Amino acid sequence: MNIRNFCIVAHIDHGKSTLADRMLQLTGAISDREMRAQLLDGMDLERERGITIKASAVSVTYKRPLAQAGEKKKGGATEEYLFNLIDTPGHVDFHYEVSRALAACEGALLVVDATQGVQAQTVANAYLAVETGLELIPVINKVDLPSARPEDVAMEIEQVLGLPAEDCIYCSAKTGKGIEELLEAICDRLPGPSGDPTVKTQAMIFDSKYDDYRGVVVYFRLFNGMLAVGNKVRMMGTGRTYVATELGKFTPKMTPTKQPFSAGEVGYLVASIKTLDDVNIGDTITLDLDPADEPLPGYQQPQQMVFCDFYPAGDTQFDELRDAIDRLHLNDASFTYAPQSSDALGFGFRCGFLGMLHMEIVQERIEREGRTQVIQTAPTVTYEVAMTGGRTMQITNPADLPDVSNIVEVREPIVSVEIITQTESIGDLMKLCESRRGIYKKQQYLSDNRQILEYELPLAEIIYDFYDKLKSITRGYGTMDYTFKGFRADNLVKMDILVNGQKVDALSVIVHRAKAEHRGRTLLVRLKKEIDRHLFEIPLQAAIGGKIIARETIKSVGKNVTAKCYGGDVSRKRKLLEKQKEGKKRMKRVGTVDIPQEAFMAVLSVEE
Amino acid sequence: MTHVIPLDQLAPDATRPASDSSVSQATDPLTTHSPATIAALYAHIPFCFHKCHYCDFYSLVEPANSPHDRQKQFTHRLTSELHWRAAQTDLRPRTLFIGGGTPTLLRPPLWESLLDTLHQTRITQNVQEFTVEANPETVTPNLMTLLATAGVNRVSIGAQSFDPHLLHALERWHDPANVAHAVHTVRTAGISNINLDLIFAIPGQTLDTLHADLHAALALEPDHISFYNLTYEPNTPMTARLKNGAITPVPEHLEQQMYEYLLDELEAAGYEHYEVSNWAKPSRRCKHNLSYWTNDNWLGVGPAAASHVNGHRWKNAPHLGRYLASQDQPPTADHEHLPTARSVGEQLMLRLRLIDGVPHTWLDDHLPHDDPRHGAITRFTSAELLERTDTHLRLTRRGLFVADALIQELL
Ligand SMILES: Nc1nc2c(ncn2[C@@H]2O[C@H](COP(=O)(O)OP(=O)(O)OP(=O)(O)O)[C@@H](O)[C@H]2O)c(=O)[nH]1
Ligand code: SF4
Ligand SMILES: [Mg+2]
Repeated sequence: MNIRNFCIVAHIDHGKSTLADRMLQLTGAISDREMRAQLLDGMDLERERGITIKASAVSVTYKRPLAQAGEKKKGGATEEYLFNLIDTPGHVDFHYEVSRALAACEGALLVVDATQGVQAQTVANAYLAVETGLELIPVINKVDLPSARPEDVAMEIEQVLGLPAEDCIYCSAKTGKGIEELLEAICDRLPGPSGDPTVKTQAMIFDSKYDDYRGVVVYFRLFNGMLAVGNKVRMMGTGRTYVATELGKFTPKMTPTKQPFSAGEVGYLVASIKTLDDVNIGDTITLDLDPADEPLPGYQQPQQMVFCDFYPAGDTQFDELRDAIDRLHLNDASFTYAPQSSDALGFGFRCGFLGMLHMEIVQERIEREGRTQVIQTAPTVTYEVAMTGGRTMQITNPADLPDVSNIVEVREPIVSVEIITQTESIGDLMKLCESRRGIYKKQQYLSDNRQILEYELPLAEIIYDFYDKLKSITRGYGTMDYTFKGFRADNLVKMDILVNGQKVDALSVIVHRAKAEHRGRTLLVRLKKEIDRHLFEIPLQAAIGGKIIARETIKSVGKNVTAKCYGGDVSRKRKLLEKQKEGKKRMKRVGTVDIPQEAFMAVLSVEE
Repeated sequence: MTHVIPLDQLAPDATRPASDSSVSQATDPLTTHSPATIAALYAHIPFCFHKCHYCDFYSLVEPANSPHDRQKQFTHRLTSELHWRAAQTDLRPRTLFIGGGTPTLLRPPLWESLLDTLHQTRITQNVQEFTVEANPETVTPNLMTLLATAGVNRVSIGAQSFDPHLLHALERWHDPANVAHAVHTVRTAGISNINLDLIFAIPGQTLDTLHADLHAALALEPDHISFYNLTYEPNTPMTARLKNGAITPVPEHLEQQMYEYLLDELEAAGYEHYEVSNWAKPSRRCKHNLSYWTNDNWLGVGPAAASHVNGHRWKNAPHLGRYLASQDQPPTADHEHLPTARSVGEQLMLRLRLIDGVPHTWLDDHLPHDDPRHGAITRFTSAELLERTDTHLRLTRRGLFVADALIQELL
């Protein structure tokens, strides 16, 4: 059989999922009636936000018309190709999804929006694919748009990625134009799998999901050997063994198959696996009775970059929150969580995420799918603390920073940031990076008026509003990507916040000493805005090691009483007060002060 | 949504979820036993000659030359509602209140028909206090005599302010000089119990102009004064102007000073402060309004009028057209019946508005020992926002200023 294993990669919103739609439709995997936009984006949140969060694999059969003397006819003789394609997310937080998908493929379609050109994740994903040794087909999408400039974009691709401009395929995933040509190119230009079905079995786990009926569903790419239902399989990394009870393909529905899988194929495996934690993405599946000598080269586990606490809020109890997090973790093993307790907020969880979007999505799913209310603390990064005595500890919570006397140095994660922007914005962007303790690396022309700017920046300086700032400086045109470089020491100290004289550990932040006073002042001003006036006056203070460096006061309520309350007003008035009270439930009471969610995020405000 | 609320079924132990909008005879265990006693009756007259900009009452301005005489149709329908209600239950309230809108805009013959109905149905039989709301411009000797003869013994005059600039800021159209004239006319007709409605914290108002307003009012020697802090109600022109920055509200600290000033001055002038915004000469407290705050049963008739009977609250739909088109039970809205714990909260909200506060005996009867509200009460008492007298739990003077923030915790 002819097999093509490939994934679709691109910058966010350049049309990967829509392109997958067209392929599903043109190959007849999905009838016109069943078709809906971004069909592979099945999760509610994906549909609402119009973005792909999780990669989806799907197998379709392409009946390739046999070209006879240059003529192609419908209904003529065809040759079957099995396409195993993987639609990937474009957002930087989900990079690791892309790298997994790449590991399962021989080829990749690099989709570039014809109006936007090469963007930060285009570059990042293209390099990733090339490093993995994949064959790339550059696809210039959205040529139907009036502002499309496919030739310019082809030149950019050539210039930056070194892929010949004439190799680009022009198409519109919306109108279907150019898709047939693309299908042909997939057959012609992408290599088929090269595995050997006669040697010992090696299958790479590139994804997994949790299914209420089947338990864990493992996505695999069989590189060598065979795999059949009834086989006792062994995960080479964990050493665990299971009996394969179901094998199948995503078409895109999960469709069980009877025939054994043979080297080169992609599918799923069900084997009574209880939780996602039992399987490691990147692990190699082999047969327990005739195991392979070596696992396939794995790849890096996703790295949690930002951390925050979740605490139960409103009517939610700790147990309910724990259940909700447990349950979500069944579906998304890429966030970490561990019990955490805070003097101010009680019992909760410290969670680690791939990035800010990931954090936002996890929070929303815990609230929505788990029917809970949570208070979230401001996200921070991991710090490496070198202690006197030679010990080094990792902390993900500013409150855990040991006493200064025990610290030799504090190191923070540094990322390499690539920004693609119009040349005219370069000056302002450089100012932005400098103000965030950035170190200039290089600048490269992409085309006459667009450049790639590279900086090294502390991750802590970019997680919150950096991207928004970049967008506003570049009037929406700039894009960025970042990769982790390593830890670097700087003059970092812990700043504590006291509300009504009480230290609120969840508000502590690690800041650069030189910026501490300014941060302290702006933070208190923000807090003052976020915390409602109470029946008493509330002093706010920022302190470093017990020394107060800034203070503010929230005045008490002066007058708050409804003038009138007669017959018809009673229900309305009561509902209004009940609603205000309900609003307070989302807040956390620290001592006698109700602190809203926004206040915990206020610590992020870098400038006023 | 329309549904019939048969009055005689609303017994005290009626437990019906607020969402249940249809009350079916067959399934309702409460039939005719324990009919409700109605302490107060309110009738809503939904007409005004101009819409004041702060007002969110349900009232309509009928064009002077309107071909439909809706005043007449309305009066006809109102009397039919009264007949229906009176036939349904023993409707002999202690107080009657005819408000609006501008009741005095109703033409005298229509008034005659309304008053006749109240007598025919014997609704007036036990009435001790019978109030009619009046706009200073519409108080005529003729109408006042008519009202007095029919038993009206209290008139509430909407003065709001005596300062033309402030009246203008409210888009309230009357000549301040007419207030004194109206008071005189009412008294001459033999109605001695007079209330003046006033507003403070009007944009542009200062302590000086408030002082002038207060003393203009005191000079008329009313028996009762309602002095309201201006409220920016949603969906009023005033609020729209506030939002778009066209008016500058009186700053909070000044509002505070104004209220302090009124508390001191009115007391010095011999008025007892008995509710957040109400002051009265001894024995002149408004019995009708007290029914609202002490959770009595009251019934409202006319569009938008609210009712409360044995824990059930509802109101007639605020829609004159639908009201006129209906028969017997007018279309209603917002029916609710609170579970006990919330109903206790609501009653605390109402009763704490009274300066006397909540009787300890009431608290003993209604607040279970393990109710979390005890904790809040203790906290507020030690913060000197609440205090205990021999007989009552009440707001302190400082508590009075922040009553809403405090009551919220007790809901
Ligand atoms: N006009 C036009 N619009 C397109 C085309 N392809 C995709 N779009 C639109 O572009 C937007 C993004 O498309 P998606 O398919 O969700 O993009 P994506 O690359 O999968 O996005 P992520 O998964 O979030 O990275 C949607 O509004 C699509 O309708 C095209 O060829 N022409
Ligand atoms: S007269 Fe009274 S009811 Fe009529 S619009 Fe003015 S404030 Fe409202
Ligand atoms: Mg997508």
